[in-house]
Amino acid sequence: MTLLSATDITVLDGAVRLVAPVSLTLNPGEPLVILGETGSGKSLLAQAIMGTLPASLRATGVVCIGGRSLPAGDRAAFRGLWGRQIAVLPQEPWLSLDPLMRAAPQVAEAHRLVRGLPGGAARDRAARDLQALGLGAASALYPHQLSGGMAQRVAIAAARAGGAPIVIADEPTKGLDAARRDDVAELLLGALARGGGLLVITHDLALARRIGGRLMVLRDGAVLETGATSAVLSAPQAAYTRELIAADPESWSRRVAPSEAGQTVLEARDLTLSRGGQRLVDGLTLELRAGRILGITGPSGCGKSSLGDALLGMLTPERGQITRARGLAPTAFQKLWQDPVAAFPRTRPLGQTLRDVARLHAAPPDRIGGLLDRLRLAPGLLARRPGSVSGGELQRLALLRAMLAKPRFIFADEPTSRLDPITQRDIIGLLADLARSDGLAIALVSHDPVLIERVADVTTCLPMQEGRKSARDAAIRRKDRGMERPAILR
Amino acid sequence: MTILVSRLVQAVVVALLVGAATFAMMRSLPGDAAWRIAAGRYGYDNVNVAAAEAVRAELGLDGPWLGAFLQWMGDLFRLDFGVSLVSGQPVIAEIGHQLGASLWLALAAVGLSLVIGPPLGILAGLRPGSLFDRVLLVVSTALKAVPQFLMALILILVLSVQLGWLPAAGYGQPRHFILPAFALALGLAAVNARIARDAMASVGAMPFYAFAQWKGLSRAQVLWRHGLRNVSVPLLTYLGLQFVLLVEGVVVIESIVGWPGIGHALVHAVFARDVPMVQGTALMLGLGFVLVNALIDLLAARIDPRGAR
Repeated sequence: MTLLSATDITVLDGAVRLVAPVSLTLNPGEPLVILGETGSGKSLLAQAIMGTLPASLRATGVVCIGGRSLPAGDRAAFRGLWGRQIAVLPQEPWLSLDPLMRAAPQVAEAHRLVRGLPGGAARDRAARDLQALGLGAASALYPHQLSGGMAQRVAIAAARAGGAPIVIADEPTKGLDAARRDDVAELLLGALARGGGLLVITHDLALARRIGGRLMVLRDGAVLETGATSAVLSAPQAAYTRELIAADPESWSRRVAPSEAGQTVLEARDLTLSRGGQRLVDGLTLELRAGRILGITGPSGCGKSSLGDALLGMLTPERGQITRARGLAPTAFQKLWQDPVAAFPRTRPLGQTLRDVARLHAAPPDRIGGLLDRLRLAPGLLARRPGSVSGGELQRLALLRAMLAKPRFIFADEPTSRLDPITQRDIIGLLADLARSDGLAIALVSHDPVLIERVADVTTCLPMQEGRKSARDAAIRRKDRGMERPAILR
Repeated sequence: MTILVSRLVQAVVVALLVGAATFAMMRSLPGDAAWRIAAGRYGYDNVNVAAAEAVRAELGLDGPWLGAFLQWMGDLFRLDFGVSLVSGQPVIAEIGHQLGASLWLALAAVGLSLVIGPPLGILAGLRPGSLFDRVLLVVSTALKAVPQFLMALILILVLSVQLGWLPAAGYGQPRHFILPAFALALGLAAVNARIARDAMASVGAMPFYAFAQWKGLSRAQVLWRHGLRNVSVPLLTYLGLQFVLLVEGVVVIESIVGWPGIGHALVHAVFARDVPMVQGTALMLGLGFVLVNALIDLLAARIDPRGAR
């Protein structure tokens, strides 16, 4: 018996087809994983199946759930299925819980209003659900008092409280570390126990491996290959799947550092940094040598970017000393930004921006052309504006711009966190090449410990300082509240 | 707790500022205060030099300013607001008398504005960009742009003079409330509606709002359980700020419709240079602002636990 079958689903934005006709079936006890990178259409496909597409998009095709046939374009028809037939897991669990309601009632309300239990029974049931997820103590907490992992589990309990047999999870491990990722996979698989169905949408190969079942690889809105997850991941047929698997940092080979370390470019001794009255870095000592890559990891909000600002001379340390090699101009210390689109003037052609930088640093006229070659960029890109080139190309152009300043040191602040895995491997590879060939010292910041482990010669892990977590929570809270205080009309 | 302490400090600062400002006013008013006060007491035709001098001596209008200032502030902190220079009654009794009338008018206006504004705003915020949303934007902006005195005059012209439905002025019967309360409420409702609309639109776009529907709750259940509570926080906060608008409005509207309230009294006290009355009313309004906002802070902290520690 099939729990859910979707036939010839397409998603259209006006006349542009974002998802080609895709058909899939979901069987009890057998999970289905849809794998693809950002922009592959995997989330749109899932949304079309659940009836949660944004209003600006249109879907065609037929979805059969629980003996009913629904046209995918008829959004209103899906409303009655939510919670009862399909449990939809949110991408951002923290933002998916009502900030003004305690955890337990958010689960209990689904038991009462969807499943139809009386109030007392619904509360008992919710308490038991949370207990089973190890959240007994958290039931009276508000979402802002929960950690990301706890919020994830509360959201899972709330989504499944209505008793829906089919669970659909879109990027359920976004922003979670490896240990949390395995917990979530465990929980999702638990949904299958009573003959339920599970559909997981992800770009995370490790999660796909954990979930198992069947796998569907999606690219540009079309299915490239399907098969048993273990078979596809161990012996991919499509070239793209092979590339995708090879791009996963887990499959990178370790970079071999040049045997001879170059001279010291930058040295920090007993560095202590504060920002906005918050102690970020305490007594850090590090040395950057030409040709070497220093990896910097740590949880968000631990001061990685502030450390970069200090190394580049843009933030005065509270204590300690930063010594830059003698004879180097301040512009020999460059930075690669996380969001390349925001790092370029929006309305000017890229070539104009780069030529200005070249003139400023008195670079010879053929320098831009030579770098374009080395960074594998087409010269035609120079005529375009930042909005009309891909993120990967733009990040390479940002690297080119930094190289025009003849840097000895580049601080790369999460340079690939917004790029897909294949592009990420390219950019990191280029950085490593530049380190070797040009003798650059590079500090590479990433939240992915595997990536750092593969690439960096030395690694610094910045711990979260005491009291910083509450400060970060406060910052998040302020952002939330900003949302709730609309501009007033007076 | 910190909320209350900081509001208490605010209250003291308000009292100090109002006290100092009214003292400075008393000293620097153009014209001879003694003559004006005597005229207020005995009528313009009956004032003579002797009467003015008697007033001057009685009130110490000629004394050194520092001693007078300290005594002034000392009285203030003993909660002795003095005696109205015009009526001779204790200020506190006069204010107590007028405050009630104003309070009822203000409550009627706020209640009316809450019935009109937020429901329309929430309706618009549920479908941002819809025809209704755009119409409401135009109407509320236009209403807000009309000054309150003009609004009162328009309502008087239309409802009283032309249609003869309501009395143009007066006090004492429920029907006397309708016109001034509406004149105040329309301006407040115009802003309330915008606040509610913006809050609803942003809450409606939040992931938790979509997720509540995915859990299986109906639209009405989601609005009732997750929408209204989240919209109420900014609305409530803004209500505290609106108190300023309300006071402004009360002063103007009471004068127009002859409402025997604190705003009316303030205007008269200013004209008659009845400085103790000015001080008493200003202090009452200032402290009222602090009190209202303290209550709103407590209420908001109950609804939204994130700000409170």
